[in-house]
Amino acid sequence: MRLQNEQVARLEDYAYQIRRLSLEMITCGQWGHPGGSLSMAEIMAVLYFQMMKVDPKNPDLEERDRFFLSKAHASPALYATLALKGFFPIDDLYRYCQIGGIEGHTDMRRTKGLESSGGSLGMGLSIAVGAAWGVRKRELSQSRIYCLIGDGESSSGNIWEAAMAAGHYHLDNLVAILDYNKVMAKGFVWDEMAIEPVREKWEAFGWDVVEVDGHDIQELYGAFYRARWVMPRGKPIMVIAHTVKGRGIDKTEFNYKWHTQHPSPQETDEMLRELSLRYGKPEQGYSRLEG
Amino acid sequence: MSEKAIKKNPQMREIFGQTLAELGQEHEDILVLDADLHTSTRIVYFKDKYPERFIQVGIAEQNLFGIAAGLATVGYKPFPCTFASFVSRKSIDQFALSICFPELDVKVPGSYVGLPTSKAGASHNSFEDIAFMRTIPNLKVAAPGDPADMRAIMKTAYETPGPVYFRVVRYALPDIFGQDHVFEWGKGRLVRKGSDVTLFGTGMMTDRCLKAAELLAKENISAEVIHLASIKPIDEHMIIESVAKTGCAVTAENASIIAGFGAAVAEVLVENYPVPMKRIGIRDHWVDSGEIEELFQYYQMQPEDIARAAVESIKLKESRLQ
Repeated sequence: MRLQNEQVARLEDYAYQIRRLSLEMITCGQWGHPGGSLSMAEIMAVLYFQMMKVDPKNPDLEERDRFFLSKAHASPALYATLALKGFFPIDDLYRYCQIGGIEGHTDMRRTKGLESSGGSLGMGLSIAVGAAWGVRKRELSQSRIYCLIGDGESSSGNIWEAAMAAGHYHLDNLVAILDYNKVMAKGFVWDEMAIEPVREKWEAFGWDVVEVDGHDIQELYGAFYRARWVMPRGKPIMVIAHTVKGRGIDKTEFNYKWHTQHPSPQETDEMLRELSLRYGKPEQGYSRLEG
Repeated sequence: MSEKAIKKNPQMREIFGQTLAELGQEHEDILVLDADLHTSTRIVYFKDKYPERFIQVGIAEQNLFGIAAGLATVGYKPFPCTFASFVSRKSIDQFALSICFPELDVKVPGSYVGLPTSKAGASHNSFEDIAFMRTIPNLKVAAPGDPADMRAIMKTAYETPGPVYFRVVRYALPDIFGQDHVFEWGKGRLVRKGSDVTLFGTGMMTDRCLKAAELLAKENISAEVIHLASIKPIDEHMIIESVAKTGCAVTAENASIIAGFGAAVAEVLVENYPVPMKRIGIRDHWVDSGEIEELFQYYQMQPEDIARAAVESIKLKESRLQ
């Protein structure tokens, strides 16, 4: 299955908006994780604006799809996506990391559209396994469970406990996505704790695996379409999305120093101008740059 | 309570397992999760009756709690079951962050608490669970004192929205309460009236407080005994009201006295009505392997030890009055 060109353009625009808003909120909150938020923008765009059945007007719909963010430090990209989808006003994003505003990681009791709370790495896939088991038990056959994990947290044992269980339970309503941006908080994955051969690992744990360019809308859509309609055959599905950490801005790309670092308003202004030009948009800087 | 009465009741884990199977019959949204311990924890009764609602996760306790969280997000009321030491030491992050932070409807029994864990030793003796659980926001914590209390706590836990942790001891206890016993969060139970000292017990130690009170009565000391199954929230009103009458206190718990139940009572007293008090429980030790009753002697958690602490507490009170 392939998308029409105009559909691709629409989703690319969403990816652009997700990147843009992620940087705006990180700058406004003066805290956050730009690298991992920027690497997952296309994944979020294709899931929420093409693939997933979620309705902000009816967020508790039983037979909805559910998305769990295991690498919850990349919450800005998820918050931006939920705001763009209409779960809450865009303006709320500018209360990131403020008391009473949006939690630095994820708090499902505080923000509409979140399916779990997190921040301690390695834990999200287990929650998704539980949800997938429960949804299947409830015979909600139209529901799919999506879970985005990081390559850094793939060194955590809890991830592999969950992987083993999903294979054991034959949860083919579960689609995990690995945001394989190759960069951790303090260095490269292969230096800090290598996860290769990662495809073989997931296959050995009983998963069907597909590898894509995680910034290619068509490839992502093709993988998610197959995961939903073609591949389910008693195995959970892993989409290994090869991505670039900090994608979209020269100095943040493939650079672990931008895993956690928050830019100054002036830096963000420059970054967003670069981002807008790269996406062929009218040049636009940081919306809250004072003076 | 006679030895005959003790023999009459099955172990508390047995009461727990049978009650869980009964609750499962009433409530179809209960799911029970196991980490390869179902005959030890006694959730085997639920497994045999409702295999389609029983989930085996293997020896993977972090996954146990993560899966429970996920099941709760889709409307189930999961009971992830394992030994208390694995809840509080091995998977506390998953329990705290994935379940308690978002107030998910997960009920967690901590099995094999305190000294009575056969001869397993330090790895399986959970002495720290009360202290750990007490500090987690949104979590309610309870320790039943007899079979009726266990049934009442489990019924209430099911009906209480949000996460609950309750202790299940591998030990038989005599009846303290009648079959119509009701458990309420934050409510203590006066189980023996007295005027010289208050013995506050939780879990299995309330029975030992009652035995201590009998020993003290022989010395013409009138001990009041209060059972505080609800450790969090705790019955501040009853604690203060009792010591206002008796003027001194002893706490008894089948757990570490550091930051545990005794500490919870001490917090209430120090902030509201300071009186002399002594704590009975495990004193900053890893627990040895050994015969259960010998362990209670070795760690000085017998009725005699509680009675001795009561006398010391009374002496402190009287020395202040002079």
